[in-house]
Amino acid sequence: MPSAMTTVEELTQLGKQLENQELESPGGVATPQIYGQLLTIYLVQNDLNNAKYLWKRIPAAVKSANPELGNIWTIGQKMWQKDFAGIYEAINKDWSDNLKPTMATLLESTRRRVFNLVAQAYSSVSGDQFAQMMGMTVEEAVQAAVSQDWKADAQTRLVIPVRSAPQSETSVPSEQMLERLTDFVSFLEN
Amino acid sequence: MAAALEQYVNNVRTLSSQGNFSQLCEFISKSGDVLGKNASHLDNLLGALDLQEHSLGVLGILCIKYNLPNIPDFETLFVQTQEFINMCNGEQVRYATDSFAELCHRFTENLVTRRQPIRGISVLCKAVTKIQLHSSQLTSIHADLCQLCLLAKCFKPALQFLDADITEISKEGGQYDARHFLLYYYYGGMIYTGLKNYDRALYFFEIAITTPSMAVSHIMLESYKKHLLVALILHGKVPTLPKYTSQVVLRYIKPLCQAYHDVCTAYGTNNPTELRAAVTKNQEQFTRDNNMGLIKQCITSLYKKNIQRLTKTFLTLSLADMANRVQLATPREAEKYVLHMIEDGEIFATINQKDGMVSFLDNPEKYNSVDMLMQLDQEMQKCIDLDNKLKSMDRDIAVNPQYVQKSAGLHDEDMQPASTSKGTGY
Amino acid sequence: MPLAAVQQAIFQQAASIEPMQVDAPEENENIEEEQPYVVENTTLDLDTYAASYTGLAKLNRLIYVADHCPPLRVEALRMGLQYVMTTYNTNMYQQIHRKLQEALAGVQGLPDAVASAAQCPALDTQWIETTTKKAALKLEKLDTDLKNYKSNSIKESIRRGHDDLGDHYLDMGDLSNALKCYSRARDYCTSARHVVNMCLNVIKVSVYLQNWSHVLSYVNKAEATPEVTETQSKDGGWVVITKLKCAAGLAELATKKYKSAAKYFLQASFDHCDFPELISASNVATYGALCALASFDRQELQKHVMASSSFKLFLELEPQLRDIIYKFYESKYASCLKLLGEIRENLLLDLYIAPHVNTLYTQIRNRALCQYFSPYMSADMGKMAEAFNTTVNALEDELMQLILDGQINARIDSHKMVLYAKDIDQRSSTFDKALQKGKDYQRRTKALILRSAMLKNQIHVKSPPRDSGQGGEMSIAPGSTGARN
Repeated sequence: MPSAMTTVEELTQLGKQLENQELESPGGVATPQIYGQLLTIYLVQNDLNNAKYLWKRIPAAVKSANPELGNIWTIGQKMWQKDFAGIYEAINKDWSDNLKPTMATLLESTRRRVFNLVAQAYSSVSGDQFAQMMGMTVEEAVQAAVSQDWKADAQTRLVIPVRSAPQSETSVPSEQMLERLTDFVSFLEN
Repeated sequence: MAAALEQYVNNVRTLSSQGNFSQLCEFISKSGDVLGKNASHLDNLLGALDLQEHSLGVLGILCIKYNLPNIPDFETLFVQTQEFINMCNGEQVRYATDSFAELCHRFTENLVTRRQPIRGISVLCKAVTKIQLHSSQLTSIHADLCQLCLLAKCFKPALQFLDADITEISKEGGQYDARHFLLYYYYGGMIYTGLKNYDRALYFFEIAITTPSMAVSHIMLESYKKHLLVALILHGKVPTLPKYTSQVVLRYIKPLCQAYHDVCTAYGTNNPTELRAAVTKNQEQFTRDNNMGLIKQCITSLYKKNIQRLTKTFLTLSLADMANRVQLATPREAEKYVLHMIEDGEIFATINQKDGMVSFLDNPEKYNSVDMLMQLDQEMQKCIDLDNKLKSMDRDIAVNPQYVQKSAGLHDEDMQPASTSKGTGY
Repeated sequence: MPLAAVQQAIFQQAASIEPMQVDAPEENENIEEEQPYVVENTTLDLDTYAASYTGLAKLNRLIYVADHCPPLRVEALRMGLQYVMTTYNTNMYQQIHRKLQEALAGVQGLPDAVASAAQCPALDTQWIETTTKKAALKLEKLDTDLKNYKSNSIKESIRRGHDDLGDHYLDMGDLSNALKCYSRARDYCTSARHVVNMCLNVIKVSVYLQNWSHVLSYVNKAEATPEVTETQSKDGGWVVITKLKCAAGLAELATKKYKSAAKYFLQASFDHCDFPELISASNVATYGALCALASFDRQELQKHVMASSSFKLFLELEPQLRDIIYKFYESKYASCLKLLGEIRENLLLDLYIAPHVNTLYTQIRNRALCQYFSPYMSADMGKMAEAFNTTVNALEDELMQLILDGQINARIDSHKMVLYAKDIDQRSSTFDKALQKGKDYQRRTKALILRSAMLKNQIHVKSPPRDSGQGGEMSIAPGSTGARN
């Protein structure tokens, strides 16, 4: 599975290239492949604004000749409405080969986002709703939860999330800090 | 006939090689008629010049081509313009910033009328970077670029320019005027609004509104309307405009925006029903002004604002009670709002589905992480940089001969009334 | 974009708007929008009430009562009519007479009306005529006197002449001329006492005119006069000071600066409170007590109101208010609020405090709520509602407003119905504020730098019409923007 996915960094790079390609397209109309890829990448980045405007600027003729583009945008719409069940349903389609890896990434990143959101937003959530938000069966969802040390209460059918503390501490060399401090002080003195 | 064109080529070549660009500009400006009369030969003429070495000469010809009553072959002209802007010598064309800008305006106009705005975006990006002295210099081409981006619904390329704070404005031979300025800040504000960067959008609209003004401009009027709505979405209230806002705004623009002020007043009651009523009453105007989208976001933002108010007053609240207090139809809908707001970092709360309650939390930011320290550090650095910029501007003014003369002049009159000598230049 | 055309269009619109816009008052906050209201049940004893005032104060107050209290209307107007005939104020006479006529017509419509009481005195045209004549004669005489004094340049006489003229105008109800005469006396004052006298006259008329900023500035002027506050014969000094404080209090009250109003009233001396042209001692008690309740914290209330030996005497005149203050201080809020409710009707008949009753009451109630909660870390809202004679739900709404206004630092646990005090993390909020300030600074400075560039390039929106050839000419002009710059 991971081999079929593209990493987020790769996608960012690819996205920039595609943006340029679109701008340089003869006559201002890019290929359906470029549009499709770029649209999906915006969705992976959860950049719904740019996705929306991209969808709006794709010429109508291209849209009607390539129904797949419309399918991609359906995902975007569901994301816009935060209709989680709808998102998974929309992703779960047979995509053309060039889109497959990106779609896999999209599915994965959506699940991760939802998982973090639930951890943050709920002190208890019904198993059904959690499964729906994760786009899984209840059993799968509960399993995923338990694997992250969350608790599941079979009786009340509730999932009790554990808040994850963000740990992205990067340290700065103290010398550099000292230098900055000197700057500040000298600024204040003057 | 051919002789005149030959002379043009020769002169361009000679003066370019001598580096005598001022004289070249003068020559080219006088050649307009001759070139215009020989429209059919202009392409040949272009072939005889080198984009890099004879940039001014090429620019002159291209301008004439755009000026023809109708452009026979726009595709060719498009390619010629594109090549010229990509290849031309920045040093040279900066001798004719006004013509260069005019070329870009015409280029933009043609793309707009041909409904192909997206084709010009990368060309104009290049054009701006070429003609700018530094990234904080505003040119009249900025507005063109923003217009194309807006029409093409392709906003990202404009951001690299919009994000730079302007400290200087290109004079463009006196051709740069308030219209370009207003359009840039109006379009820029719209782009930021489209991307939901409301803070920046508000700033841009404010700049447009506070432009010194002796008359009402349509652009200012539209900026004013959008400013009100964006302010509601962002702050939930309308900020007071700076003192230097022109009288025109208060006297003429404000009364023209009654519908919008009604919305602001209704918003101020925190009552969604009143807000909706005010919207419905003026719906026609909002639709006509193309502001319905913003209006809808105002309504959503009022629900959010009311939820935020609840977080300030309650520790826990049942979803049903919450729905009731903020006038949402069902507890389910209230939960959805809360969930979205948590995700967007607009509130800090946890939902307890067991009891159907929401608990509101304080901002978990304790200002003790390294990340936060870095952020603080950056903010302080920004302030220091700005302060330094101010100081250097102050110094510039202090040594400006006119300023010195003026401020010293007052003393002079007292001290030595006989002195009439006026130091010219310094 | 056909900008010029659009501008033109806008301009025409704008021009058509202008005439209305010119006199459209931008800020007319000063003019209180008075909600018409009617007081039916009052315990006001009109005779005693009226006896506390003289001159215009008496008339204005009687008319105010008549306007707002139908049961007392006829009586108040009759008293007014009787009193006004001792002055030269013929306009006021006619005004009151008309009101009385209307009032009686209204009463007569009712079947129970006592016929004899409803007898309206006929308009005394003869009195009007003679009084007008007399007034004119006196005016002429005073005028001639003043002219004589002036030609003789006797400063003191001129001053008195102006004062007399002012008094006479006041008696006729011509306030603006009275103010002019009193003010003119200023140039002929030769002693501190004269200055103060002049100030008091101006203050009096300004109060009648409701020109509050004028009142305050003359109070300051009088207080700045040396000797007034000290070496004057002690009693006279106190009388003057009390008058000044009362006038200043009225002005602050009228402009909704309740705390400052309270402070002024509290400085009045009971033994020297003699200012029937403006205010009675029981007014001082009422105004002072209510403003203090609405704006003072517990310590201030204790120190400046309850422990003040002078104000205690004032409060004896209004025992109900004294009780209210004590109940408030003893945290017996339910009975305090109940007592306040009882005196409400009477307050609504007082022309100076009536417009502020609602605001003051709300503030007092809020203060009580805050004070109730202040010692607690958490409070049961059921008990709190009981203490304030209200329901838990209503209390929740009230508290919500107070929390949003920042008056109470607490949060409601709506699940358990408990109010919890909220401790503010000073450190975090300081960081928060600092970041915000930094952002504001950046924004303002950027706008400033941009603005300076704007001005440097002389960018401003000019009037149309611009020539339509704009952008039509394309020629390379000699580069005035050189490559270097």
